[in-house]
Amino acid sequence: MTAISPETADAAAILDRVEASLKNDLVPVEIFNDEAVFRAEIEQIFTKCWVFVAHESEIPKAGDFVQRRIGLDPVIVTRDGKGGINVLSNYCRHRGTQVCQTDAGNSRFFKCPYHGWTYSNNGDLVGTPHMHDAYGERLDPKAWGLIRAPRVATRQGFVFASLDPDGPSLDEYLGGAGWMLDLIVGLAPGGMRVAGPPERYRLHADWKTAAENFTGDGYHVDTLHWSTEEVAVSQGLQMTCEIARIYEFENGHAFAGHAWTKAVHPGYVLWGYAPEITQHFNLSGLDEAQLHVVNHEPPTVGTIFPNLSFIRLNTPSVPGGPMSVITSFRQWQPIGPGEIELWNWQFVWDFMSEDEARDSYVNGQFTFGSAGIFEQDDTVAWEGAPRAAQSPWMRKAGMEFHFQQGNNSQVDQSHDPSWTGPGRKRNTGYGEHAQLHFYRHWLNVMRGNTGAGTEGAE
Amino acid sequence: MTTTDTPRIVPPVSANPELQALATQFLALEARLLDEGREEEWYGLLDDELLYTVPIRQAAEPRSKEIDRNAFRVRDTKAHVRTRLDRLNTDHAYSEVPPSRTLRIVGSVEVEEIDRPDVIKVSSALLVYRQRGIDPHFDLIPCRRYDQLRLTPSGPRLLSREIVLTETALATPNLGVFL
Repeated sequence: MTAISPETADAAAILDRVEASLKNDLVPVEIFNDEAVFRAEIEQIFTKCWVFVAHESEIPKAGDFVQRRIGLDPVIVTRDGKGGINVLSNYCRHRGTQVCQTDAGNSRFFKCPYHGWTYSNNGDLVGTPHMHDAYGERLDPKAWGLIRAPRVATRQGFVFASLDPDGPSLDEYLGGAGWMLDLIVGLAPGGMRVAGPPERYRLHADWKTAAENFTGDGYHVDTLHWSTEEVAVSQGLQMTCEIARIYEFENGHAFAGHAWTKAVHPGYVLWGYAPEITQHFNLSGLDEAQLHVVNHEPPTVGTIFPNLSFIRLNTPSVPGGPMSVITSFRQWQPIGPGEIELWNWQFVWDFMSEDEARDSYVNGQFTFGSAGIFEQDDTVAWEGAPRAAQSPWMRKAGMEFHFQQGNNSQVDQSHDPSWTGPGRKRNTGYGEHAQLHFYRHWLNVMRGNTGAGTEGAE
Repeated sequence: MTTTDTPRIVPPVSANPELQALATQFLALEARLLDEGREEEWYGLLDDELLYTVPIRQAAEPRSKEIDRNAFRVRDTKAHVRTRLDRLNTDHAYSEVPPSRTLRIVGSVEVEEIDRPDVIKVSSALLVYRQRGIDPHFDLIPCRRYDQLRLTPSGPRLLSREIVLTETALATPNLGVFL
């Protein structure tokens, strides 16, 4: 247990109610739009968990940088002259002015526009104007450098940072989610790269709703996205939960896969990737469970706690048009209570030809981008929770969201006893188990418990 | 400095008032058709070789690097637009149920003749007012458009459109409306 911050203390009464509700598979409405809860989330979650900040392919060359966020804090993710990756606070040490005013670029230095303090792209303070008259001697470049994220680590090119000097390593934190990430993007030498910079759009939604959806909400697919079936871009959406496989891992991470070889045909392995793509794959490093997963029940969506999610599916962009497998990673950036910015990256295999990469990128954006024919419906469905959360009537009525789907269902939702991979697996998308797993971990972290292995009580 | 080195201050806008009127009328017509929910009639104004793109914009220096033309929010052919319209016609495309109430203001129309006699370039500024569904608020989508219009015997057709959004992060939750 770590110390409870004042923000968390303000939210304590709400957390007590969450704890009581979760025992009944319910979630109180107020956590989706509440100033104290939001501040506590920023304090307890985003300054303590490992948070995704960039993919290495976004900063391939020395001097490349992107500006990102950890919770509400702007950070600069740089590639320095020695090839190292730095995650630097974007606040000048002198008066806090932001030293980087762009989203991306290439520079050896960041110069504060206020008084000219200048930092190297590894964060060191390397220049103070009128040094002799102003300070007499050189200020220590490390002691007065940009404040660095205490821990930075990568997995498959995904750069994560933690603002907590203690706690689990990135690999320990990711656990089974890292195992899953390896098989999502690590199937070919060279892996995947971003197809372009992130696309950003602001939603009137809470970050948890989006993260929860991507842990494995297959139940919404044949309602909210039914229009895509009606225009023959999708097929068989009504089977989504039936063929779903839910993978739950420690630290609140969860993925949902689909049994494509069962639903489509036995040869439809590896997400249905075309042979010209799969010929580049090298599966020799995968263990038996991973091989089974990628071939037969591969992850379709997933959330790495707190706010990084992914989606991969084989789709045409127009009825009867060429299929391609799209891979989008997305980050639900908290802006304020009930407000997020959705950051969406399409990923392509590094070996892809220009045409293959373009097709995948186009299909990815056409389905899961701001104009995406799937995504645009999600962006408005998620607006309800923060509105209900702000409603005096709903608060007075003690509104709780219903997560009891699994309680009386006739579908077997038990853990698959034959599962040899990490975490646990269920062979149905019914039951809202992945979502409850996410919220139970959320509560644990909000209570100050950030250690590895918090699976949440069931 | 010779005259050829002088920076060109005035862009090569067509002095042809007929072309100017043609382009201005075309942009006004398509804006009205979209505002009035007459998408099928608007669709009739699209060239079969349409390419409709919204590149991604970021804060960058120099300014010339703000727009990455290899990165896009939208890259639609006419078949993509057809799919979008068919989806809207299902009445289950929930982001547009009920359809956004929009008002498109088109201004600063400039026409440029190019070396193809049947194609003109048209630049315009567009501000879309959007009140979506039951939103208590409205969204504004500001952008600049760089179009190519093909001049056919039955009138101009939209051959290509590049939409440069003013915002780096969209303040409206989706691009469920055409720009």
